[in-house]
Amino acid sequence: MKTPGWRQWTMLVVFALVVAGTGLFAVRTVRRTIYWRQHHNEPIRPWMTVPYVAHSYRVPPHILYEALGIQPQPRDRRPLRRIAREQNVPVEQLIETLQKAIIQFQQTSLPPTPDGPERGRSP
Amino acid sequence: MSLTDQLLAALSLYGLPVLFGVLVIGCAGLPLPSSLLLVAAGSFTQFGAMKLWQVIAVASAGSVLGDQIGYGLGRWGGRVAEQFSRRLGGEEKIKRAEEFARRWGGTGIFFSRWLVTPLGPWLNLTSGMAAYSWPRFLLWDVLGEVLWVCLYVMLGKLFSDRVQALTEILGNLAWAVAGLVLAVILGWQLAKYFRAAKPVNSSSTKVKSAAV
Repeated sequence: MKTPGWRQWTMLVVFALVVAGTGLFAVRTVRRTIYWRQHHNEPIRPWMTVPYVAHSYRVPPHILYEALGIQPQPRDRRPLRRIAREQNVPVEQLIETLQKAIIQFQQTSLPPTPDGPERGRSP
Repeated sequence: MSLTDQLLAALSLYGLPVLFGVLVIGCAGLPLPSSLLLVAAGSFTQFGAMKLWQVIAVASAGSVLGDQIGYGLGRWGGRVAEQFSRRLGGEEKIKRAEEFARRWGGTGIFFSRWLVTPLGPWLNLTSGMAAYSWPRFLLWDVLGEVLWVCLYVMLGKLFSDRVQALTEILGNLAWAVAGLVLAVILGWQLAKYFRAAKPVNSSSTKVKSAAV
């Protein structure tokens, strides 16, 4: 029988690498999907705008503006990073302020029933 | 801040021109997170920061233009494109993609626009290098890109509160699908070689042709 040449060996190695890579990405896809279903809220990132954070966490934008101590703007396109720069504070600190305001809002606006329905989650 | 975060911040701040620019460059072959920006733009339409029809029109135009640049590079800048792709991935890859382009033609172009997206830039180059008919390339390209844009923008709109998580899933999924397609093509060629190599007495030219 003809032994495989370097071209076939290369192809075999590439094939093995591709299969391994595919498996890795498939596992990561599944893991991320599971994580996604369990954690509804996504972390606040410096690229996000105040309207986006408000939308993502279902909080009225003016609550977040109040927490940051700035005037609400109707078409605010500034990412949090820029607002932080304007206010001369680290963006992490600004994000923390927002998180606190969101938690406070959620606690005050939630219905008092202990096992109330969770909104926005698929069964 | 990562490049992705920088681009997302620029998208929030400047809107459509950033979307257009990233899609042109991304579809022409430079590794930019185009899908992610599409999903983000889709989510921005949900709370009024961007307009849906504008996002779809601008994104489709940008991606089609980027693909034509890739095709043009392959067709008219043959040598430059070859060197560029050789630096990125080697001759094997070009040959495989060229063969793929010839064999699958329009189907390959269509599916690499929206389903097997990581292979898109390769197919642009190789379609140009293989001198695949430009009107046909454009037709399949427009169909595929509009589908891709609508799909990702609508996903972004639908899950508008979870852009970050959604794009991470979609990014991994795109590579898994591309890996699967490559694995099937490679596996099939290997199987073909080993099947042809088994009978010792068959003519050596047959083995040679199967091995290429």
